[in-house]
Amino acid sequence: MTTEVRPRPSRALRHTGTTVADYRRNFSRRARLSDLLVMALWTSGATAAALFLASGGIDQFTSVAETVTSIGIVAGLVGTDFILVMLVLAARISIIDRTIGHDRAIAVHRSLGKPALYLLLAHGLLLLVGYGLSSGINPIAEIGPMLALPDMPLAVIGLGLLIVVVVTSIMAVRRRFSYEGWHLVHVLSYVAVAFALPHQLSVGGILSEGSGQRVYWIALYVLALGGIVTFRFVEPLVSSLRHRVRVAAVTEIAPGVTTIQFDGHALRGLGASGGQFFIWRFWAPHTWWHSHPISLSAMPTDNSARVTIRDLGKGSAQLSTVPVGTRVSIEGPYGLFSTTARTSGKLTIIAAGIGVTPVRALLEHATFAPGEATILLRASTPEETYHWDEIKAIAAAKGATCLVMVGHRPRGIDTWMSEADAARGVTLTSAFPDITDSDVYLCGPSTWLDLVEADVRATGIRPHQIHTERFDW
Amino acid sequence: MRTRAILGSILASASVLIVGYQAGTTVTMANGISVTESSTSAGSTSGTTASGPADGTYTGSSVNTRYGAVQIQVTIASGSISEVAALHLTNADGRSVQISNHAAPILRSEVLGSQSARVSNVGGATYTTQAYLASVQSALDQAGA
Repeated sequence: MTTEVRPRPSRALRHTGTTVADYRRNFSRRARLSDLLVMALWTSGATAAALFLASGGIDQFTSVAETVTSIGIVAGLVGTDFILVMLVLAARISIIDRTIGHDRAIAVHRSLGKPALYLLLAHGLLLLVGYGLSSGINPIAEIGPMLALPDMPLAVIGLGLLIVVVVTSIMAVRRRFSYEGWHLVHVLSYVAVAFALPHQLSVGGILSEGSGQRVYWIALYVLALGGIVTFRFVEPLVSSLRHRVRVAAVTEIAPGVTTIQFDGHALRGLGASGGQFFIWRFWAPHTWWHSHPISLSAMPTDNSARVTIRDLGKGSAQLSTVPVGTRVSIEGPYGLFSTTARTSGKLTIIAAGIGVTPVRALLEHATFAPGEATILLRASTPEETYHWDEIKAIAAAKGATCLVMVGHRPRGIDTWMSEADAARGVTLTSAFPDITDSDVYLCGPSTWLDLVEADVRATGIRPHQIHTERFDW
Repeated sequence: MRTRAILGSILASASVLIVGYQAGTTVTMANGISVTESSTSAGSTSGTTASGPADGTYTGSSVNTRYGAVQIQVTIASGSISEVAALHLTNADGRSVQISNHAAPILRSEVLGSQSARVSNVGGATYTTQAYLASVQSALDQAGA
């Protein structure tokens, strides 16, 4: 590890703008909102169960058959509520993104997938058993009458689609698919949700016409689907039309690493903060059908923006050959790996490989007093030092310390450092003496990042001071 | 997860469930089987026999259940029940329609067979059975059976 840039003490400028008090205020506001979101999630589940209680209370648990049926109905209501919550979490709604960040929203979305599916499967099975018990026939024989109910065949197809969507999203299974294939299957969940609605309104009595329950339920659907339509279709469309982004230049800066420069209109109006990403769709013959989440690698000016990509899959390889002049539609900015998430005055940044790209924009955008930011750039080989010269220049101009560490990780030892530095006994606290007083931004490949993050947590730093961005899908 | 979020979630969820439960109890009291006296006898009473039911067509009371109202029409000919017709059956939702479609023919033939409203419950259709028989009974009362 070597120190490449050291802040010059004589040039110490009094830094104006955002203060630590502002960071604290912003953070507690986000924490409050985040708690409210958690409460909304659980309360919506409880409300789904309450809808059932409100329609007939404890009376619906008097016989075995009724009890089984009632539990089945509650499972269906709560399961569907979870599915709608999942849609909301995946809708990239700006307030959710600003509060908990896209990554965490998607993590919660994922964690709800299996519980929701289990609840809905239980719903189907319990109702077969419950209806069967009350008619005095076995659950298998009940399948016929069940399917004879209006809207039931549609609901069964919906459940089938949901099983496919959840199973293809289980990590082990998902790895066998390309991102594109997986995404195509995932879109089926909209169909599943739509197919399930008619039977909810017609088969059971809970959501019957004229009931308050029906009004609430339809409002939930409108909220979830409205969120998707607004934030995934309307807003990106409006933003793309307004900012008229086009590819201006494509430059290979290292083998397999390309910068794409964009032209556009009023790009500062996007309100991106350093470290955030957009979802880009390139309207060229081979790339139009697939969108890419890519971080800005520099702060946008009014009429230009830039990203840097590395060939990680077939999709991103095709981007390096996208013709100049290609129209680009954009969704964003997204993510909390940005200056908006600051909680402390000092700044620690550790980035590896292509993970330097958001960090480059972050350092450019961040406010800090000279000497209060330290950035460590990490690469396995000297060829992977993308944008390091730019970052060093920014560090020099803003008075940040820039450390670099080049070399492979040692075999058999769990460390994020290079073999030489690990052997020399370099530690996180020797490199960053002020780490516990600072915001720590970590960006790089997952396995490496897990190691750094564990190391950072071991310093006893408070979890909200750690900000991570993993570079893999 | 933060303590505030956990406590808030528990409190909010519990209140919602309690409100739901309270609302449900009120609904149950209002929606137990209740008889609405909307019966108008359309009996063309001919008064042939002094004792026993008078011939004619009698519309039973409309009986409300939480799955919908039930109203039955009974026809008396030569002093006995000759026809039982359902004017309205539990139909609040698809499942109720299926249940009443299943139960109605059974109840009809049992009432015709026993010539009374004292017949056994049809499995899986308790609400429908009770309301059906209550309505039949009110029609029979009008006929003076």
